[in-house]
Amino acid sequence: MSYINNPAVVMDNGTGLTKLGFAGNDSPSWIFPTAIATSQGGSSSNAKKSMSSSAASSATAGNPYYGNSTSATSFNDNNLSSMLLSNNLAGKRGTEDLDFYIGNEALVASQGPSYSLSYPIRHGQVENWDHMERFWENSIFKYLRTEPEDHFFLLTEPPLNPPENREQIAEIFFESFNCAGLYIAVQAVLALAASWTSSKVTDRSLTGTVIDSGDGVTHVIPVAEGYVIGSAIKNIPIAGRDITLFIQSLLRERGEADTSLRTAERIKQEYCYVCPDIVKEFNKFDRDGEKFAQFVVENQESTRKKIVDVGYERFLAPEIFFNPEIASSDFLTPLPTVVDQTIQACPIDVRKGLYNNIVLSGGSTMFKDFGRRLQRDLKGIVNNRIAQSEMLSGTKSTGVNVQVISHRKQRNAVWFGGSLLAQTAEFKGYCHTKKDYDEYGPEIVRNFSLFNMV
Amino acid sequence: MLHLKPNNLLIQKTFSEALEANANGAPLSLDRIISDFDYTTFHVSNSPDDKSVLWLSIKTKAWQSVTQCDQGKNGLLPFLASKYQSAKGISIPQSFENGYDYTLQADLKTIDQDTINQLSLLKIFVMNYPFQLAFNEFVELSNMPVLEEPTGSSTSSSKNLYTIEYRDEENIFIRPSNDRITVIFETVFQDETDKVLGKVFLQEFVDARKRNRDIQSAPQVLFSHEPPLELQSHLRKAANNTDLSRRFITFVLFPRHFQTPELQFSTVCQLTLFRNYFHYHIKCSKAYMHSRMRYRVGSFIKVLNRAKVDEDESETAGAEGTKEPVQRRTFTGRKMVY
Amino acid sequence: MSQSLRPYLTAVRFSLEAALTLSNFSSQEVERHNRPEVEVPNTNAELLLQPMHISRNEHEQVLIEPSVNSIRVSLKVKQADEIEQILVHMFTRFLEQRAESFYILRRVPIEGYSISFLITNKHTESMKTDKLIDFIIEFMEDVDKEISEIKLFLNARARFTAEAYLGEFVY
Repeated sequence: MSYINNPAVVMDNGTGLTKLGFAGNDSPSWIFPTAIATSQGGSSSNAKKSMSSSAASSATAGNPYYGNSTSATSFNDNNLSSMLLSNNLAGKRGTEDLDFYIGNEALVASQGPSYSLSYPIRHGQVENWDHMERFWENSIFKYLRTEPEDHFFLLTEPPLNPPENREQIAEIFFESFNCAGLYIAVQAVLALAASWTSSKVTDRSLTGTVIDSGDGVTHVIPVAEGYVIGSAIKNIPIAGRDITLFIQSLLRERGEADTSLRTAERIKQEYCYVCPDIVKEFNKFDRDGEKFAQFVVENQESTRKKIVDVGYERFLAPEIFFNPEIASSDFLTPLPTVVDQTIQACPIDVRKGLYNNIVLSGGSTMFKDFGRRLQRDLKGIVNNRIAQSEMLSGTKSTGVNVQVISHRKQRNAVWFGGSLLAQTAEFKGYCHTKKDYDEYGPEIVRNFSLFNMV
Repeated sequence: MLHLKPNNLLIQKTFSEALEANANGAPLSLDRIISDFDYTTFHVSNSPDDKSVLWLSIKTKAWQSVTQCDQGKNGLLPFLASKYQSAKGISIPQSFENGYDYTLQADLKTIDQDTINQLSLLKIFVMNYPFQLAFNEFVELSNMPVLEEPTGSSTSSSKNLYTIEYRDEENIFIRPSNDRITVIFETVFQDETDKVLGKVFLQEFVDARKRNRDIQSAPQVLFSHEPPLELQSHLRKAANNTDLSRRFITFVLFPRHFQTPELQFSTVCQLTLFRNYFHYHIKCSKAYMHSRMRYRVGSFIKVLNRAKVDEDESETAGAEGTKEPVQRRTFTGRKMVY
Repeated sequence: MSQSLRPYLTAVRFSLEAALTLSNFSSQEVERHNRPEVEVPNTNAELLLQPMHISRNEHEQVLIEPSVNSIRVSLKVKQADEIEQILVHMFTRFLEQRAESFYILRRVPIEGYSISFLITNKHTESMKTDKLIDFIIEFMEDVDKEISEIKLFLNARARFTAEAYLGEFVY
């Protein structure tokens, strides 16, 4: 059995983006939208029926699907020219299920007439298993080039994923793909493990609060000794997309030359930061013109250049986490308060650990000084409470240490945590193998033993 | 996706990114593992002295058997070197990276997309070597005058049998003779379902050529449980291995399949991916069956729900009548989908 | 539809109609238990009725085991060759994996059969009996159809992939 030496495959399928790679690497090999473009059948043109795909590679420079994406709905490349490799299947009857594209290629394909785009994961959970199965199929064979029989797989799932969904995953991976072994980890736990790379983390415990903010929704998830405290999880309907939309609305109000979603997204990624105090920051901007920036939108043909001014939205946009009322009217609780409520809803004996280890994960926590601001605000809330209880009880509190941990792997923290755990020598022992599956059936994946912490 | 491509997409992507970053003046620091089919692992890393020089190392199960194919002539390294001779910016270091079989050094300042494509074919080149030996020997054999053997057969086949041990219990055997080259795949199925499905697929490989006139000129394919005659003397020592799912697939290549170097290369690409190709398609058909069965489950549940009395009627008569009967909710309030 | 399928299904339908006369029945042995009598090892012969065995041929059979408050219907699905055998196995396992949403599906079939249903008086109280029987009959028809369709698909796919692969050698 020489698969012992093969690296484990780590797959993190999120609502917006999928991260694929091998255990031991420091970053995912592929990041692309969790999107699949399926053939609509029938009306597809038979124009490209050429069966002469030369065996030597025909991939050319600047393929749109080479780059890692940062957005689930658009490219970071401008050249959307039809770089799609024909899969020679258009119009062949009986093979519709092979005629599809995933990831960036799917976005390209869906611009043509014969493919329709869909996102098989909604709110972190798989909604369309047929599409998901084919998405995995193509991920494994085309993008990772692995024979699943030779590799162990680590997959991720959102907190509170019903066990039935795990069984479905196991059914697909063991029955369709015959994978050698499977481990399904909760995303929040992996995000905690990823924080071990930070110098601030001294003990490698799996207790902490994870703030996971992606494109669609922000979760605050308390984890105690590797187990998620499900009853205390809180969601905030503010995440990356809302920030982008907010920037877009500001741009529109000012009547900028380009107010597309793409421009707003680029501005968010390149210019935004978190400030300690909005009023002071407004003054700073008014005094100092340097703070204003300009963003150049390159057109598809890059003939005309549009210039967009970037102003207050630089600090105002991420501020909606801390002052949601500036952007939304239905959700008004600031993020630090939500974090505090979450931890207060947990059993009293883990609360200190939860305050002490607040870990950030996901692209929307990447703003500069996000962690610092959160730590300051949260500290304020906690200190107020301590002061009040000291006053009421007359005793001295031992104090609560609030610490928010930012680290360099934050953007793909879940994937990176998976890569860390899957490269350990013990990992394969924690997996369920194909043999176990054949003997006991899908229900074995309801339980996975936790990683022993060093 | 119908065909597997011979080039490794991930190597191409990694090097393209590195090339671009280097051109922008910010060379990436890389230390990545990339994998390929059949126990093959690549390692991409920076050279210790210069960030703009990348190392691509390969470790593959087939390496050892491939080096032994030429009976100690050590032809593999020169062969690989010749493949990369013309590629811009590629050099071969004196010693290979520890733990890997072979290393190439790519200078990001001079490589271009063609070089990157060549790099992504490294595994194919390794597998190509025994085939190349066979092609060469074929030329020798076919130029030899045919001896009138007492047995009456006019074919003289080589006594050499090139073996590629590319997986644990699966090997490729190549035997050249004066009018053909025989390539034999030995294959085993681990999974019960795969054994049966594999049989269906392999049988079709045999029949396809007979049925479809368009592919008459493709290599002849044979399929058996018993080792073919070409192998019997060779396999006698391993005869104790009596796995019932063991199959032998023989491809008979005629000169038209390897007349020019281009044909040779594309034939080798196809053949080395043969096992991956049909395993991939077995998996795809299982995935398709799963979606059919999901659809059936849905339709069966619809029929069954027709039998339900009252509850549903009173419920649907109320707020909304559009509720899908297939979807239920778990105690966490989330939808379950079948 | 072939000659003998119609009478076979009719026989199953009538037998099921006859068997599906269930009533609530508390356990005689354990206080406050109410269990499907057909499933428990039973010493009380009066609770179990004579099992009915309907057979079209040696590959297609139905076993109906009635009792006072539950009946068990086991089907043997046609499996002519190795491929059908594996397909039936895959399909029934796929269904049993989702038994919860089928209410009446038993997670494990009776020995010697492909798939089993267990219908209790709870089910007949909440569902229309004739519709339940319709379901079982339709199920029997559709499973055969589905298996043969999958088999056709498999052959077509295998042929297609083989031709596509060999087509690459044609220059």
